[in-house]
Amino acid sequence: MAGKSATAPTTYSPSPSQRKQKPIFKDVDWVRPDGRGFHQCRPAFLRTGAVNAASGSAYAEFGNTKVIVSVFGPRESKKAMMYSDIGRLNCNVSYTTFSTSVRGQGSDHKEFSAMLHKALEGAILLESFPKTTVDVFALVLESGGSDLPVVISCASLALADAGIMMFDLVTSVSVSSLGSNLVIDPITEEESCQDGSLMITSMPSRNEVTQLTLTGEWSTPKIHEAMELCLEACSKLGKIMRSCLKEAASASQE
Amino acid sequence: MVGLSAGEKHFLQGGIAQDLRSDGRKRLTYRPISVETGVIPQANGSARVRIGATDVIASVKAELGKPNPLQPDKGKVSIYVDCSPTAAPMFQGRGGEELSTELSVALQRSLLGGKSGAGAGIDLSSLIVVEGKICWDLYIDGLVVSADGNLLDVLGAAIKAALSNTGIPKVNISAAASPEEQPEVDISDEEFLQFDTSGVPVIVTLTKVGRHYIADATSEEESQMSSAVSFSINRHGHICGLTKRGGAGLDPSVILDMISVAKHVSEQLMTELDSKISAAEAYEAES
Repeated sequence: MAGKSATAPTTYSPSPSQRKQKPIFKDVDWVRPDGRGFHQCRPAFLRTGAVNAASGSAYAEFGNTKVIVSVFGPRESKKAMMYSDIGRLNCNVSYTTFSTSVRGQGSDHKEFSAMLHKALEGAILLESFPKTTVDVFALVLESGGSDLPVVISCASLALADAGIMMFDLVTSVSVSSLGSNLVIDPITEEESCQDGSLMITSMPSRNEVTQLTLTGEWSTPKIHEAMELCLEACSKLGKIMRSCLKEAASASQE
Repeated sequence: MVGLSAGEKHFLQGGIAQDLRSDGRKRLTYRPISVETGVIPQANGSARVRIGATDVIASVKAELGKPNPLQPDKGKVSIYVDCSPTAAPMFQGRGGEELSTELSVALQRSLLGGKSGAGAGIDLSSLIVVEGKICWDLYIDGLVVSADGNLLDVLGAAIKAALSNTGIPKVNISAAASPEEQPEVDISDEEFLQFDTSGVPVIVTLTKVGRHYIADATSEEESQMSSAVSFSINRHGHICGLTKRGGAGLDPSVILDMISVAKHVSEQLMTELDSKISAAEAYEAES
């Protein structure tokens, strides 16, 4: 019996510890794994109207990070909910089981739903749909780093597609600090060995920050630099999202 | 939820605008802090911290475990906060669960540093016993006994006090027969190693009410906030974590101003907390 179990073919499982040696990020002149410059974002692909059943939806692809967000409602709040003279926003972020290199690893991001809620709530005119609920469901198809910023930007695009009234589009960008360098829009490889990260969610034309998180040790001048970098990228991303919406609107008119 | 009448709200906001809050404090003063250490005998370290009517208990338990194969030279720390429904009825069910996750994530963000372990308040490499084989797993649990605003700051202070109260047993390793085998360990129950807490940051939450921000908001004041930002700041004045709460947007320049105010407040809080912790430990040693 013992001999049999020893010869039985074992299932292949890629062990992440045996990967190629970690790239050295601390040098001054290293090249990012995908060949980008330090302050260069990944090319963004955005489309609205990805799901037919939803009142609004959007698909976003930033490098390998692929996200789909659908917005349902405004619809009547559940009977159990108390009366409220402003609308409710319900957000949920989930990962597909195949989104990460190890199966089912994406489920350890329980806080993302609450963070998405907070990032969007300040931008939506909740007074415009009293007694009702808007559901925002985000699904990460492939996780390739900077997942939450992509989810947030994509969700605001889906909300705009659904015709929910907002003060402004919400855009989000993160930076990683690796040694003495600041790297914008990090991929998974860079995120896994970062010394710290900063994520900003902003409404570019109102110049307001709706969500902000920071990890790792930072000095004040470095925070200044990173915030400026993020806000600039946010306003650029806002322009791309706007043009995407305009394109969709002009295509539907024809 | 705190129900306030229009008059009460006006009184509260007016007081904050004039730098005299309803309990007589200035905008940036904390309520009186009291610290007790060693409150839970079963844990390796514990503390109870009260700031005003907010009361929390933090406990630290250490268990031997196996390090993560991706990080063979580091121990593991998990932080979990429990908001018991005995503190407030709104903590029952989903409301409490959401708050617990939010607080746990915010504490992990401020204490554990970046993915590479840089800037962590708790030095993970000090938890290793045999590289790649045995390490200490620290389980830090916070319990909210009574909530009257500013939970995150109080939890941060309680964890800091509990960590400085923590003694990790000395481990004797008998040489393993071969490098493949798990080495045998002998945990001493007499000798304890003190945990280095000089790098553990304090958390300062600034709550924005109207145009001003206040430190250590009570739950009444929190009900009037537009947004709040929690900063965790270490002894060197470096920011180790930052979390924004509340939906309203903030101007970037306001955030930068808040950082410099928070730094100033954190220095005072750090000194006060240090003296309170050492007083509590001296008292515990006496009794």
